[in-house]
Amino acid sequence: MISARESGLVGCHKCGTVHEPSLRECRTCGAGLRSRKPNSLQNTWAWLITGLVFYIPANMFPLLTNRVLGSDDGHTIIEGVILFYKKGDFLVATVILAASLIIPITKFLIIGFLILSIRFRWDLSAHARLVLYELVEFIGRWSMIDVFVVALMAGLIRLGAIISILPGPGSVCFALSVIFTMISAQSIDTKLIWDQTPKERK
Amino acid sequence: MPEAPKNLDGVIACPSCDLLHEVEDIRPGQRAKCVRCHTTLISPKADSMDRTIALSLASVMLMIGALSFPFLGMSKAGLERQASIVDLIMAFSQGWYQLLGLCVLLFVVALPMLRAGLLIYTIWPLRNGKPPLPHAKRAFALAETLTPWTMTEIFILGTVVSLIKIGGLAKVSFGTSFWLFCVLVLVVAFQNASVCRWTIWQTIKKVQP
Repeated sequence: MISARESGLVGCHKCGTVHEPSLRECRTCGAGLRSRKPNSLQNTWAWLITGLVFYIPANMFPLLTNRVLGSDDGHTIIEGVILFYKKGDFLVATVILAASLIIPITKFLIIGFLILSIRFRWDLSAHARLVLYELVEFIGRWSMIDVFVVALMAGLIRLGAIISILPGPGSVCFALSVIFTMISAQSIDTKLIWDQTPKERK
Repeated sequence: MPEAPKNLDGVIACPSCDLLHEVEDIRPGQRAKCVRCHTTLISPKADSMDRTIALSLASVMLMIGALSFPFLGMSKAGLERQASIVDLIMAFSQGWYQLLGLCVLLFVVALPMLRAGLLIYTIWPLRNGKPPLPHAKRAFALAETLTPWTMTEIFILGTVVSLIKIGGLAKVSFGTSFWLFCVLVLVVAFQNASVCRWTIWQTIKKVQP
């Protein structure tokens, strides 16, 4: 087993076509050719921190406000979880807890862990890290579910003072946080994970 | 350990881990995976192009239908309201909240349709044995990049979660558009599965002037 880089060649990140290192553009798909994405780790850090920054207000401001018969009742993510938990609605409480708290925080931790492990060449199984990466890439998009829930509820339930659901500032921050974290995960060059452990068996 | 390959067209580097593989003839229905990281490299399917075009066209039709009918309805204290997907997008007109509508517009409507359009644009001439249209490479590359940003399936699950969360607040009913959208989610899933990147790229390469 030998990688394109080890044989002095460059493999296209998009389509996999192999080239001599002197070429700039993939002859198959026209993508820019780089053996490894330039500044992959810095870009990932930058997007990750941006995502984190927006995640803080996403938790401090209400995601949405229920207006029933003129009285407003807004709650943040954590307040929402506690509210449903107290009502005895454990299923809803667990869904919100998982989608809005556990998944985003796990995502931040995993991406941070991956770039640290690449940067400091931690001696870890590349397979395990690839599984972590695929987990983040797969799960990341699903956090958008909260944004859609707010859009759906606030877009549908609008009967003025009788009953309305209004979006809160937290929802906008949450949407931005999800988008930035997705870009962050996409900025990781997975080829870097395998560079340090070329001899690992499967 | 093998030597560096001489014929660069006979090898493929795994886009995910950079490992070199020799390209073999893969029959439709078979799947070539990277031996190290198990990323799918080549997965040709029978009638892949016909299928992709058909499913892309179907998704556009379904989306037109899904946009023109009410998506959900609600009633409370004798008052009723229906909302289509367009209503949801237009519902947020003030300041930063427009971003919520924009998220729905982009990830649920515009990008899935753009991807379907780009796939048709790229694959239609190839399927008929004609040279690719101008910028076909860029079009197909963009279609590939867009894949993680099309979130129709997430939107449907979001609908289910909203219904649970609305719970006792109001009575909610499904509109025609909801059911069309459920079919659309299936069609998009099959559409994503019907594309074999490697086959399309090789075809573009072969027939380009």
